[in-house]
Amino acid sequence: MRRPGIWLGLALLAAAGTLGAVALRGPAPARTPADQVHAIAAGLRCPVCNDLSVADSPAPLAAQMRETIARDLRAGKRPDQIRAEFVAAYGESILLAPPGRGVGLVAWLAPALLLAAGLVVALTAVRRWRAHPAAADPTPSTPSPAGDGGAPSTRSPAGDGGARAGPSAAGAGRVSAANRRLLERALERLDEEERS
Amino acid sequence: MRVWLPLCGVLAAVALVASVLSFGLGRDPTAIRSPLVGRAAPDFALRTLDGRRTLRLADLRGQVVIVNFWASWCTACRVEHPALAAAWQRFRDAGVVLVGIDFQDTRADALAYLAGSGTTWPAVEDPGSRTALAYGVYGIPETFFIGPDGRVAAKHTGPVSYDQIVAEVGRLLPRAAG
Repeated sequence: MRRPGIWLGLALLAAAGTLGAVALRGPAPARTPADQVHAIAAGLRCPVCNDLSVADSPAPLAAQMRETIARDLRAGKRPDQIRAEFVAAYGESILLAPPGRGVGLVAWLAPALLLAAGLVVALTAVRRWRAHPAAADPTPSTPSPAGDGGAPSTRSPAGDGGARAGPSAAGAGRVSAANRRLLERALERLDEEERS
Repeated sequence: MRVWLPLCGVLAAVALVASVLSFGLGRDPTAIRSPLVGRAAPDFALRTLDGRRTLRLADLRGQVVIVNFWASWCTACRVEHPALAAAWQRFRDAGVVLVGIDFQDTRADALAYLAGSGTTWPAVEDPGSRTALAYGVYGIPETFFIGPDGRVAAKHTGPVSYDQIVAEVGRLLPRAAG
């Protein structure tokens, strides 16, 4: 339990695997003819409604579309044939879910790609933070006194060699180390003063 | 580097959102493109509202067919009716057929509307909106222009004007509109 990152990763993998398996399996297959009609109608957009499926819409045209689906199924047409006929008449906008090809593929891939990009950014940030924890230290750096062996800070006065610390996290880490030493010396001086 | 990289990212994101918005806002939200344009028009065989005959699209091959979806309860259909009547008067003997397909209506209401408006072009009923669904109708009035080759040449959503009908017929049958 000393490595929470591993457990978090395993939990994320398990969640992604479960979701993937459910997505691949899809909904339970329709058994009765009414279920079949509902399954097809649920994937079609009611043309005369706002964001309602043909299965859910009370509009007369949606009812006629359900009747058409039932009649086509009785005639032996396959669900994908029936969907294709509606697409031929109305275009792919009649489908509630975008097709997994062409421009529609973007809608399917974008969430996964964005999630992956977010994970990469988060992991990179965590790794950087763990390598140089002081990078996240909001303490402003102070001018580094000459001769303390510390790296020049971003506020180094002219004359310290002219070098300025780069904007990298490593540079910020060195400055903080110098600050820490300054603080320790100051505390030592305070202790000495108190003793004396 | 530390400042420029995120700044470039933010600028790229802003540019992307701005370009998507400018593309979307520049489009006419009422214009619904039909995937049928350029393809063979779905065939139909529908009874006229007076029950006297059945009209088959296949029988009209070689002529320009204007398919107009309408209903007696449709206010916008009343707006476009004079344009359709004028176009019918001009093109009925020039190889152009106008077919009105009644959409989600009662036969009695539709017949009363036809009689009241003096409609003389063939008007048919569409049981179960099967033809409307095959043509991808969203809301009426919608008008499809079918060329002599049987392909859908154009779709017009909303009340169609006389000039728009003349322009479409002129494209499909130059001698008729000349």
